[in-house]
Amino acid sequence: MLKINDIHKSFGNNEILKGVDLSIDKGDVVVILGPSGSGKTTLLRCINFLEKADSGQAGFGDLKVNLHGASKRDIHTIRQKTAFVFQNYNLFNNKTALENVTEGLIVGRRVPKADAIGIGKKALDKVGLSDKYDSYPSQLSGGQQQRVGIARAVALNPDIILFDEPTSALDPELVGEVLTVMKNIAKEGTTMLVVTHEMSFAKDVANRVIFMDGGVVVEEGSPHDIFVSPKEERTKKFLKRVLPEDYTFYI
Amino acid sequence: MEKYFDVSYIWSSLPILLPFLKVTFMVAGLSIIFGTFLGLILAVMKLGKNKIAQKTAHFYTTILRCTPSIVLLFLVYYGVPALADNFGLYLHDLNTAVFVVITFTLQFAAIMSEVIRSAFDSIEKGQFEAAVSVGLSPFQAYRRIIFPQALVVALPNFGNGLIALLQEGSLAYTIGLIDIVGKANLIIAANYNTHALEIFIALAIVYWVISILIEKFFGKLEKVFSKGKQTINTN
Repeated sequence: MLKINDIHKSFGNNEILKGVDLSIDKGDVVVILGPSGSGKTTLLRCINFLEKADSGQAGFGDLKVNLHGASKRDIHTIRQKTAFVFQNYNLFNNKTALENVTEGLIVGRRVPKADAIGIGKKALDKVGLSDKYDSYPSQLSGGQQQRVGIARAVALNPDIILFDEPTSALDPELVGEVLTVMKNIAKEGTTMLVVTHEMSFAKDVANRVIFMDGGVVVEEGSPHDIFVSPKEERTKKFLKRVLPEDYTFYI
Repeated sequence: MEKYFDVSYIWSSLPILLPFLKVTFMVAGLSIIFGTFLGLILAVMKLGKNKIAQKTAHFYTTILRCTPSIVLLFLVYYGVPALADNFGLYLHDLNTAVFVVITFTLQFAAIMSEVIRSAFDSIEKGQFEAAVSVGLSPFQAYRRIIFPQALVVALPNFGNGLIALLQEGSLAYTIGLIDIVGKANLIIAANYNTHALEIFIALAIVYWVISILIEKFFGKLEKVFSKGKQTINTN
């Protein structure tokens, strides 16, 4: 459903993405792991053109684009097929929770207002915020704001939802409620591409794990392949650092 | 012998002065309208990607903010007709008010360009990214998400600019505009330069009342526009 070929991206003299290939099928829940600076967030942001890649091809179903020279129309089309959940939520500060969720539907996709409100309320119910329709982001906790962000993405019913470290900015107590929401929408069959440091999510919910380091994909496979029997040295080193000390691998 | 300082002069001069507030307000109002429009164009130049446009807009802002109002008034008053002569236009007999409006439009535009630019810059990029990520076009993102938030940020600075414009406008009489300050000077001259203190006290009172009213008005406006900024009720 989504294929990325040989994507390169530099910021000034710093080459962040050094030729990454990625392939996602419908219903996949793919987690990207890696140390900071490995390019995982950049990869995500290049997919919906928040960053402009230097080169590479992308295929969204039948639509094939060149990631560097994509037309405004293609970019708009791709953004209609994707949704993004940000690390720092990025809710529209001048709109209520319900308005946040319906904005993309009413203005971006010309859905009639009444239908959009219905969809929006359902999405907010799904993330457990039925009593917060009319609250402004400044009146919500971090976990609640992120759940609105997820509702905003879910309401658009996109082909794939991109998550950029959705729980990294949250207090530890609030991480759980967001991960639960993500688990539930994964169970419903939503295609998700998640950059995260939450290993529990990668182990329990993902059906594929990709390990990136230094701008390339080092290893990818099922959670079992990566966590229990990693093949590459770099992968083992990373896992040793981020997982509890008594964790061992089996070949 | 008349007293040197006669308090009654303050009150008796007010009815003579107040009708000329019309001129003050008309000149200020036109300068604000044209100045905001020009300031918006300059702000767009500063926020865009074109380096030449950026440099031009910054150069304009610097020049105009570094020129004292009274100098600018005379530059415009003598300079615009002189420039027009080169194009065969005779502008020397234009109403003084036109030159005053031109001067303060140019000055207000410089201030407004910074107010608008800084207001837009203060909105974090994530708001725009989220807007385009849910499928809004860049224009829709600016109009529906960025602009309303930038407006709230710009409002206090706009109010300040407004009050500053009124203060600077008090110098317009130097090129012959008969606004409230101009009339005050005429009264003083007619009284053989006596009782100037009382007349200027009257002027001060008028300006205080106007400035306080403007402040209160903008305070109310800020409250109306800040509906999204209530803080969490933690009790």
